[in-house]
Amino acid sequence: MLPLLRAWRHRALVAALTRRELAARYRGGVLGYFWSLVNPLLLLAVYATVFRLVFTPRADVHPYALFLFIGVLAWGFVSSALIDAAETFRANGPLLRKTTVAPEVFPAAAVGARLSHLLLALPVLAAAIVFAAVRGSVSPGPSALAFPAVLLLLSLTVFGLALAISSLAVHFADVRDVIANLLTLAFFLTPVLYPAASVPERYRGLLRANPFAAYFAALHDCLFFFRPIPAAEWAWMAATAAVSLAGGAAIFERLRDSIAEEA
Amino acid sequence: MDGRRGDSGTRGRGEGNVAIQVTGVTKLYRRYGRRHTVGTLKSALLSGMGKGALAPDASVPAIVDLTFGVVPGEMVGVVGANGSGKSTLLKLLAGIVRPTAGAVEVRGRLAALLELGAGFHPEISGRENIEINGLLLGLTRRQIAARFDEIVRFAEIEEFLDAPVKTYSSGMAVRLGFSIAAHSDPDVLLVDEVLAVGDEAFSHRCLEKFAEFERAGKTILVVSHDLGLIAERCRRAIWLDRGRLCADGPAKETVALYRERVAREEGGRRLEAARETPDASAPPPQRIGSGQALVEEVRLLDGAGNPAGRISSGEPAALEMRVRAVAPLSDFVFGFAVSTVSGTSVFGSNTDIDGLRPAEFAGQGRVTLEIPAFALAPGVYSLDVAAHARDGAPYDYRRDVLRFEVTADRAVPGVWNPLRRWRFDGAIRWKA
Repeated sequence: MLPLLRAWRHRALVAALTRRELAARYRGGVLGYFWSLVNPLLLLAVYATVFRLVFTPRADVHPYALFLFIGVLAWGFVSSALIDAAETFRANGPLLRKTTVAPEVFPAAAVGARLSHLLLALPVLAAAIVFAAVRGSVSPGPSALAFPAVLLLLSLTVFGLALAISSLAVHFADVRDVIANLLTLAFFLTPVLYPAASVPERYRGLLRANPFAAYFAALHDCLFFFRPIPAAEWAWMAATAAVSLAGGAAIFERLRDSIAEEA
Repeated sequence: MDGRRGDSGTRGRGEGNVAIQVTGVTKLYRRYGRRHTVGTLKSALLSGMGKGALAPDASVPAIVDLTFGVVPGEMVGVVGANGSGKSTLLKLLAGIVRPTAGAVEVRGRLAALLELGAGFHPEISGRENIEINGLLLGLTRRQIAARFDEIVRFAEIEEFLDAPVKTYSSGMAVRLGFSIAAHSDPDVLLVDEVLAVGDEAFSHRCLEKFAEFERAGKTILVVSHDLGLIAERCRRAIWLDRGRLCADGPAKETVALYRERVAREEGGRRLEAARETPDASAPPPQRIGSGQALVEEVRLLDGAGNPAGRISSGEPAALEMRVRAVAPLSDFVFGFAVSTVSGTSVFGSNTDIDGLRPAEFAGQGRVTLEIPAFALAPGVYSLDVAAHARDGAPYDYRRDVLRFEVTADRAVPGVWNPLRRWRFDGAIRWKA
């Protein structure tokens, strides 16, 4: 867990690097903030159209567009943070080689920047929920209050994976491609497009093996179905976060010394 | 887990009055030859991701069993050839790399200027970059805010504060980088060859800042190829040779010892490169050749034809050698080659290159190469001369036979200082 503690100790730097990421991305675009919404909105439009016109969504996920929006936003965070993590040490090579910066701040900032994108999109999500509620499609309840906790656990899981991916990417040139392919696969194995409940009983165990499945089921629970997240799911998410952080930290620590030399 | 890179300001727990203590330090750089430094995950998995998958194939020593200490308030210069381990030493002290063996202790807040502006992001403003750089140097946001105006003033970038750093000139970026580091209030400052970049006026301000640090009892370690700077400004200098401590003492003495060695060794290596049949192994001698012809005296002449050790940049000058043929020759070439003292080739030509076809050379002679405008940048240069056959077989090759200085009103980076004129079209105006 040392990398997490160090990233926390250097949180002002992590925050500044995160802001730098955001600022550099939005600089030169008048519609800066707008662009962070375009990608999820576009994906949402495509999925909603395809799945409503071509496939018939299950009756229990109405309105389907809102259901999709939650998953697509969260998956956007997970996938882009992990891809960015694979590139972060190479992108920051000069800093690593020439300054005394603690290397864990870079994966932390990569995750932080993508998390910020998600947070910036939340007002739109909130508006969509309110809109659906006014139309009587969903009935928001206090279970939505669990959302920050789910997001925190998800972020810790992503950070643990980012630690492992970023340090491995220094040594292996194809880590980014491996991750990109795994993420494509994981997208369909995660309840983003479909509710976890629609997975046939005998494949539930398989779904369990996907560390992200529980998070997306929980996100749908608290923001779409507005029902409490079962205690077993909480335990599973906490365990995933702990294992991801411990494993990521162990790999990172093992490769830490070579990061500045190889990046 | 102590003294890790990136851990806050104070590192080490040394006893007594030292700012830097290096004890028996060896640093091996790992070489991943089998995988050409970056392999693929696929190949690692296919070849069995065992214990050995991430193990290096071979190690290259950068620092070997190095021990020295520095007391607070000392300004110490580090000299040595390229690849002697100077930069690795600074990286070890900065905690960027860890020693393979031995211990490094640095007491107090450390600031390392290993590359000015290393932390600048080109797309964001100077203002935002100051904050990130300050945080990288270990300042808190409050401290950065308190010193912000002073940093900007020292760097002289007031008007460009909110422009992206990519619009800065390299001089501006250098000034800003130094200013942030200088205002991070370090107890120990590590500086790697960064003063070579800025203009002269700024270099002076940097040196003043160093003097101020010294008076305040701060410790400064400077790596530089500018031996004059080290001899003049540092009290003490350390000479590293292939990772080992070669000399450690008063700066002037260490620099003199080092200069002596450079004159002996580097001169040899340089001409080696100019030779047509390079011999890769042992360093070649200072003078080689069959002796059928001899180069007897070499002089640099100023515009008036008087021997000079120093030439103003852009003024006329001439290179001259007195030569003697032991027996009459019909195949001969005369040549001069100028390089910097650190070995960068600057100019070289010979009678063959310039299209002169030899007929006869007997007895004594004098060869003069006149240069109407000696347009080298200010600095110290080394001259090699040769008399050889057209196929390159040397009669007399003399390396580093003469050193001379080129002076100018202002410093110019690089080696070329051509006559030049600026022209502007459009609405560009300058103050009178």
